[in-house]
Amino acid sequence: DLDASLGLDEEVKVTKRRKPISKLDEARLLSAPGIPKLRADARSGKFSKKLRLKGKGHEFSDVARLLNYYQLWLDNLYPRAKFADGLQLIEKVGHSRRMQVMRKEWIDEGKPGYVRD
Amino acid sequence: FSKAQTVHPEVRAYVYSLVNALGGSSTDDDGHYVLGDDALACLRDLKRWLKLYDEKNNRLDVARCLAEAKLVGGDLVPILASWPEDGKENKLKARVALACLEVLVPLTWPLETTGEMTLNHHRHTPYIQQAQVIYKAAILGCDTSSILRQVVRIGLPSIAVARDERTSRDEGILKLLLYFFRNIAVIQQVPNLPSQGLDSEVSRSATIEAFRDQDVFALLLTICSNMGEDFNLQDVIVLDIIFNLIKGVDPKRLWMTQQQRKSQGITDLGAALAVEESKNRATKKHQWSRHGRFGTMLWVKRDGEKMSAVSGQDNLKGDQQALFNMDKSKKWSKPQQKRRDIDHTIHDFDHTTHLTDPASEKLRNFVDEFLDSGFNPFFTHLRKAIEREAERLLDVNYRQFFYAVAWFLEAERIRRETQKKEVKPDKVRDDFTDESYSIVAAVLNQETFIMLNRFMQVSLDNKEWQDLNACMRCFTQVLLTVQEMVQSPLEEDQEIADNIQNRIFYEETTHDRVVEILRGYKDQGFGYLDACTELAHVFLRMLERYSKENVDMQIRSRRRAKKKRKEEMRMAAQPGDDPTADDEDSENEDIADVVQVSKERKFDFNRFAAKFSTQNSVNTFVSLTTFYRDLSIEQLKRAHRFFYRVAFKQDLAVLLYRIDIIALFNKMINGPDGLDKRHAMYKEWSEFARQVFKKMFKKIDQRPELIVEMLFSKINSTLYYLEYGQEKQTIAAS
Repeated sequence: DLDASLGLDEEVKVTKRRKPISKLDEARLLSAPGIPKLRADARSGKFSKKLRLKGKGHEFSDVARLLNYYQLWLDNLYPRAKFADGLQLIEKVGHSRRMQVMRKEWIDEGKPGYVRD
Repeated sequence: FSKAQTVHPEVRAYVYSLVNALGGSSTDDDGHYVLGDDALACLRDLKRWLKLYDEKNNRLDVARCLAEAKLVGGDLVPILASWPEDGKENKLKARVALACLEVLVPLTWPLETTGEMTLNHHRHTPYIQQAQVIYKAAILGCDTSSILRQVVRIGLPSIAVARDERTSRDEGILKLLLYFFRNIAVIQQVPNLPSQGLDSEVSRSATIEAFRDQDVFALLLTICSNMGEDFNLQDVIVLDIIFNLIKGVDPKRLWMTQQQRKSQGITDLGAALAVEESKNRATKKHQWSRHGRFGTMLWVKRDGEKMSAVSGQDNLKGDQQALFNMDKSKKWSKPQQKRRDIDHTIHDFDHTTHLTDPASEKLRNFVDEFLDSGFNPFFTHLRKAIEREAERLLDVNYRQFFYAVAWFLEAERIRRETQKKEVKPDKVRDDFTDESYSIVAAVLNQETFIMLNRFMQVSLDNKEWQDLNACMRCFTQVLLTVQEMVQSPLEEDQEIADNIQNRIFYEETTHDRVVEILRGYKDQGFGYLDACTELAHVFLRMLERYSKENVDMQIRSRRRAKKKRKEEMRMAAQPGDDPTADDEDSENEDIADVVQVSKERKFDFNRFAAKFSTQNSVNTFVSLTTFYRDLSIEQLKRAHRFFYRVAFKQDLAVLLYRIDIIALFNKMINGPDGLDKRHAMYKEWSEFARQVFKKMFKKIDQRPELIVEMLFSKINSTLYYLEYGQEKQTIAAS
């Protein structure tokens, strides 16, 4: 009985855990290839040049380029999801309290006369 | 599977022997049906079996046996058919006919696959539903006699009696008669069960034609126009019948002439072919020009020295296609929430039903006569019953009421339109055009509005979406009718219309409710989506016009008054009051009471329109727009006007700067699977999309933060800054 109470004879069951599926959550969205990348691109000042936007009169082709940019960005960040699905996932993440605060912060940073606390 | 297991063998033996004893076709009398010696008693026994075995024990065994024994087609229909037209005084025959009807009604009673069902129900319901289709086909398709007319004949003696002198038996017969017609109107091929090849025999068109040809419509009209006088308790059943006849029918098609309908058919076909052709063209554009194993492979260069490989010749066409294929090749899709299947109940009205030409003609005749004579008495009577919450009303009847009112109001408007078009050239029936709107006045009074508002609020609170759907349609039609009345040449009509508008727009709660419904859309189905966007569109447009014409328009707002009152109460409850303030307090309270009742303020349309321009209402219209390939011109116009208002009148285009919305607009215009370039709304939409894109790029240049914000729905606190580049100036109370 001593063996039993010490649990010596019992076989240790090893249950194989499924590999967790990576999620498109806050952490991933805030990691380097996520929003920081977007912000870096946006603040570099060469955004439209980088995308080779043609400007006035070429709205439709420019929008296609913009959408392609987002698609590649999303594919890089979270290759699992299709573009439309990924957008929905991100939009949902944006509802969380933390994200809302951060979004507000990002916008405030762009305002003239902003001083970091 | 053997028959013996489904039903207790003894029950089956009893029922079969009764059916056999009922009678049969004779060999020597040209195969005519001959009644058994004790036919009447047999019928009564069958009725008893249905009642005391099936109903009492909550089983469907007897009904199942009777279906298998083919009682309706083999016995009841021939018996009713053999009741000679001149045999009125043949008492026995008349009693047998009534006994037949008494068995027919429970057998044809609609079975719903919802609510509590026992094992027996699950076992028998599909079979009986199929059998009911056969019953209906047998009843409508009897070639020796008109069964429906025979049934009307059963009721005639009871109808002829004045209302006060009717016995309860007479009332019972009337009820039986109407329930029978209701059942006939309801029965249809159940979508989830295999077809038995009887679809056209039991279709809506066949029902309508039979109702017209066999005088059922005449009976219904008589009852409707004498509602409240000779008839009292029958209103709900008649409503049920009418609802089941008109649900899903497009009133517009009824008033088309044969020629128009034909050309409409051709344009419909043309439109369908055009859609198909444009699809074909799109596929051809991306079709491979070589065989499937030609094996093209290329890579897409990306940021940071990365590559993605894609295969297929169509990728050579351009980046767009390559990126599209990259996306398409992904295997995982976000799990979609499945919507409950609410559409297969008999109370659903969102499915369009097409009628054949003769059936349209016949239904139009009925609707014509109904509008002229039956509409007012019928709906007034029903409204009063609803107000009283009469016992005979079921929950679905409320929905049916509002749907029917909406449908007939629309029918009336279309009828007027057609008449105007018809009369104008010859100017012969000039007096006819000036007919007043009093023939639909019964639903354009304050009582109905109060009821409509209340029911709308209740169904919104209880999340009864299908009820709310019916209410919204009704409200929309009321608004449209009033709008027509304003333009009526009769001064009286204009005055009334003005009054009605005043009443509708006076209550701020109504405004708020319309906004709330629009914002609250989530997965309630397309019919609901269509109804709520239409209501919002019509309401907003009419309110805009009305408030422009009446610059000093006042509205009653309740909330503020309450707040004020609370404040006063708090003030009054503060400790340290001197006793002399008591008088003053009660006086204050009186004033507060007055304030609460009549707190009015000037209506500001812009403020109201701003309430419409929120992310949620944009989302609702976006979900409507995603169906763009299947939307009508009118629906596309509705969505266009809304977005246009948001982006360019309210200056809130920021709400549209979300990638999925932008992608949707882009897809609509540039495909793949976009709007057809020859579509009537294509030009307006493409111009709109271009303007939005232009504005968006300008904004991105000004405020790079938008690049991130494009991923999300906007937060209220940053919305104003993103649009105007500055904080909102709030008026300080200093």
